[in-house]
Amino acid sequence: MPSGALLLQSVVLGLLLGGLYALLAAGLTLYFGILRVVMIAHSAFLILAAYLAWWSHTRLGVDPLLSLVVSVPLFFCIGVGLQRLLLARLRPATLTMMSVLLTFAIAVLIEGLLGYAFTGTQRRIQLGYGAASIGFFGARIAVVKLIAFGLAAVALLTLYLLLKKTTFGWALRATIQHRDAARLVGIDTDRVAGFGFGIGLATAAVGGTALSLDTTIYPSLHWHWIGPLMAIIVVGGLGSVPGAAAAAMLLGLLQSLLQIPMGTTWAQTVFYLALFATLAFRPQGFFGGRLAQRF
Amino acid sequence: MASELELVDIQAGYGRAAPVLRGLSVSVEAGTIVCLVGPNGAGKSTVLKVASGLLKPRSGRILVRGVDVTGQGPQQMLASGVAHVLQGHSVFREMTVAENVLLGGYTLRDRSVLAKRVEFVKEVFPVVADRWNSLAGLLSGGQQKQVEFARSLMVNPRVVLLDEPSMGLDPKATATVFDQVVRMRDAGTAVLLVEQNARRALETADVGCVLDLGRVHLSGPASDLLADPRLGELYLGGRPTVPQPPARR
Repeated sequence: MPSGALLLQSVVLGLLLGGLYALLAAGLTLYFGILRVVMIAHSAFLILAAYLAWWSHTRLGVDPLLSLVVSVPLFFCIGVGLQRLLLARLRPATLTMMSVLLTFAIAVLIEGLLGYAFTGTQRRIQLGYGAASIGFFGARIAVVKLIAFGLAAVALLTLYLLLKKTTFGWALRATIQHRDAARLVGIDTDRVAGFGFGIGLATAAVGGTALSLDTTIYPSLHWHWIGPLMAIIVVGGLGSVPGAAAAAMLLGLLQSLLQIPMGTTWAQTVFYLALFATLAFRPQGFFGGRLAQRF
Repeated sequence: MASELELVDIQAGYGRAAPVLRGLSVSVEAGTIVCLVGPNGAGKSTVLKVASGLLKPRSGRILVRGVDVTGQGPQQMLASGVAHVLQGHSVFREMTVAENVLLGGYTLRDRSVLAKRVEFVKEVFPVVADRWNSLAGLLSGGQQKQVEFARSLMVNPRVVLLDEPSMGLDPKATATVFDQVVRMRDAGTAVLLVEQNARRALETADVGCVLDLGRVHLSGPASDLLADPRLGELYLGGRPTVPQPPARR
């Protein structure tokens, strides 16, 4: 029987991990909501951002968080370009299927470029505060995990406010919900979709930087992430940002708790069990549905 | 004096398929309702898509108050005063009524004008005021249609294109919707109406056009069309003149 302190530690770590998952999945579900695009390359961009953070720390000697100043606008522009120049050219009838193939190719390309530039050696950022932790009712919480959670929370809050409180956010939500009706109220849906895609990729920049603080990275690491992230957005209801956030928190917590009796590897299966259960019993997602409150 | 909206010899279709509209011409004057009726596949909804810029015609001309606007997209057509209410339900279901209506004024930059238009549509459509903070997708079909009307009127359009506004509505909601169409006409708006319920539409309209195979087959005052026995047989539920086979025993 695990001790109370261990359980508390697992719950807190699960919630912190869930917060990071929520951010990582938010971008993924946004792509699907905007264009019905399954963006396999999302986690590859995540690892690219993590490498940028590692590179700026080891080569330039700056805090990895400062890399966000470059990576967020850079990823936004790449996202806009990707949507406008590649994805927008796919035929609507086969868009979802073709987007899997296209973004799979992009993921492999990024992995190859990272391997070429940095070799396949595992990398880890060594921070002065990397080993620091704080006590919480007998549990020890690593400071870098708190920073990663904080980054994810700020990014998600910014995304929420952007979508809910700005004219652009309204236009993006309208474009997601009924593209023709959005065009008929005067929204330039192609431009809005491009910017929406850019925002999705910018979340990968933040998520990747947060990930780099506490994770050993290598070029093929993205394959480890894409499965759980896909499971989260399906469980949450494709296209639903709050659904993805709720599923991420829940599955992050479950994964953390299951690590106590089952170990790290088997605990990971919770994502796939949840995915199978969702597809079997509620294909529209447990937090989605016909009237999913997307934002 | 130029018509509010005029489509001249329009050829249009989807992708590389055969054209749906084959030399269609129709015009709408201010303060009138022109109703398009015809069988399924005649191209009624396509006419509206061409008129609002959702579908570019392959040939022909589109004129708004005499100005050639052929080939312009929905944004430019809206700026020219042409609003389009789509078939079925096209509210933004997961947004509130307020957000839906305010998005109708997306192109309005002057906040005072926007506020005045909001007050106007709230007055014309009480359901908008009553359900202002409700999710649009939770409203009944008739209420959603009124929200769509309200959204389209936010820019004070001179031409409104209505695609089967009574589709899927109960008789009471249908009556409300047609009352609103008449109010638009009475306010001086030109209305181009496509409706499956051809009898009801022609009773409301001033001018009727019968479409067949992508062309205007017959047109004239709506009351004349209503009285035309040929139209009655084809589209208004009249008695078919083709002999029926004997009942099986």
